[in-house]
Amino acid sequence: MLEFRNVSFNFAGRRNGVEVLHDVSFACRADEIVAVIGPSGCGKSTLLSLANGLRKPSAGKVILDGKPVDGPSRLIGMLFQQSTLLPWRSVVENVELGLEIRGEPKDSRRDKAVTLMRQYGLSGFERKYPHALSGGMQKRAALAQTLAMGPEVLLLDEPFAALDAQTRVVIENDVVKICRAGKRSMVLVTHDIAEAISMADRVVVLTRRPATVKETFEIPFSRDAKSVADVPGMPEFTTYFRRIWDALDISVTGMDNAA
Amino acid sequence: MSLSRHTLLVFTGRLIVLVVILLGAELGVRYGLLSQLFFSSPSQIADAFRIQLAQGTLLSNIGITVFETLLGLVVGSLAGIAVGLVLPQMRTLSRVIEPFLMVLNGIPVIVIAPLFILWLGLGLLSKIGVSVYIVFFAMFIPVYTASLRLEHTLVDALRVMGANRWQIFWKVVVPSSMPSVYTGLKIGSGLALIGAVIGEFVASRSGLGHMILYASGTLDTPTLYLGIIALAVFAGILSLTIDAMGPLLVRWRFFDEK
Repeated sequence: MLEFRNVSFNFAGRRNGVEVLHDVSFACRADEIVAVIGPSGCGKSTLLSLANGLRKPSAGKVILDGKPVDGPSRLIGMLFQQSTLLPWRSVVENVELGLEIRGEPKDSRRDKAVTLMRQYGLSGFERKYPHALSGGMQKRAALAQTLAMGPEVLLLDEPFAALDAQTRVVIENDVVKICRAGKRSMVLVTHDIAEAISMADRVVVLTRRPATVKETFEIPFSRDAKSVADVPGMPEFTTYFRRIWDALDISVTGMDNAA
Repeated sequence: MSLSRHTLLVFTGRLIVLVVILLGAELGVRYGLLSQLFFSSPSQIADAFRIQLAQGTLLSNIGITVFETLLGLVVGSLAGIAVGLVLPQMRTLSRVIEPFLMVLNGIPVIVIAPLFILWLGLGLLSKIGVSVYIVFFAMFIPVYTASLRLEHTLVDALRVMGANRWQIFWKVVVPSSMPSVYTGLKIGSGLALIGAVIGEFVASRSGLGHMILYASGTLDTPTLYLGIIALAVFAGILSLTIDAMGPLLVRWRFFDEK
């Protein structure tokens, strides 16, 4: 279980700096998908960088299975918004990168990478460079790279934002299945309400900066859906969409005011 | 079909230009339209070539300049790559010495050359020194700039996977500098030759630069042209060699598959 316990974060700066996160608390149990949604620039990505160990909270703690997160951990994997595949490595070399960093011998890490690539429909692309792959396949490769290390927790920072609509649904669905099958925890940061409802068991809505938890929505029906593509067609979807939209409190009258 | 016809046309055009120049020089000099002091006919240059070849001076002069250039290119490039990669890892040090390096780079090499002659003598070492000096900056600046502007997401991704600084340096910083190394080699290969010849011009006893300067001083115009042609041929070969190294250094920029 991954837990944010009264987490605050200030960007260091003149005097007290800028407070980005203020007293954020929520948990993500094993076998649970939590979506974090909030206004643009509210600190969603910063929240993930506290969980992946790249930054330390100014106050409070991020706790994984009872132990505070203190730097990167092999139990926590992350999928970034931008492509993080190294352009000078072939796809299979990228998939095995995490294992290589960990010092796993060449043969066994290559075997694992090839197996994972077969599972995720990347067979035959082992020797290709990332630029020769479509956006969707690049995401799959990045996912395979993360999963190769066997993390308990997956952190996703708007990883599907750049994909076209069809590819996106297919990959969202794959990620949900993979997560459920491995009984992993997953924290998904997104600005897309439909994506949050379709994928997550719970949606945490953050306020504007300094961000704090405004409201939490349990989504009881997304787990029952055969595919994330079916969720928007479910009768409860619209109700939740509206409630989350209201909680986000996005002003859509900006243009009128400007005029 | 149209492409090959186009290519054929281009090559024919080039051949015509070359023939016109050679024929024009030959006839112009032979019939007194062009002064023998300023121009040489291809046959005069060929004579100079035969004589110098027989004496052994041409090949030894070429060999000396080629040696100085290649050594300058290799040593200067290695130094430029090393400093360009390592300096950005030490932020304070890099900020302290950056302005000094930039000023050094701004000094015209022609005024630096006499210093190298003073320090390293009249022999090959001073020419290699000048060559190393300008190649260093041609390599250092692109590599240094690239390592400063490293793609931060890639570094973050590796850190999340548990990579230490050493692993990030070798797996991200070094490979991502390879396109800049290639750029540095392209620029540096031309400058290496310039450095060697400038060194020879300032003070020397051998090399193509010395041969050209001596020919100019003794009004031996055919030998002067011979020296220039020899330099041009070497520069061309060097440039083609460096171009061919692209797919070795940055294979992913040239191919879809490893």
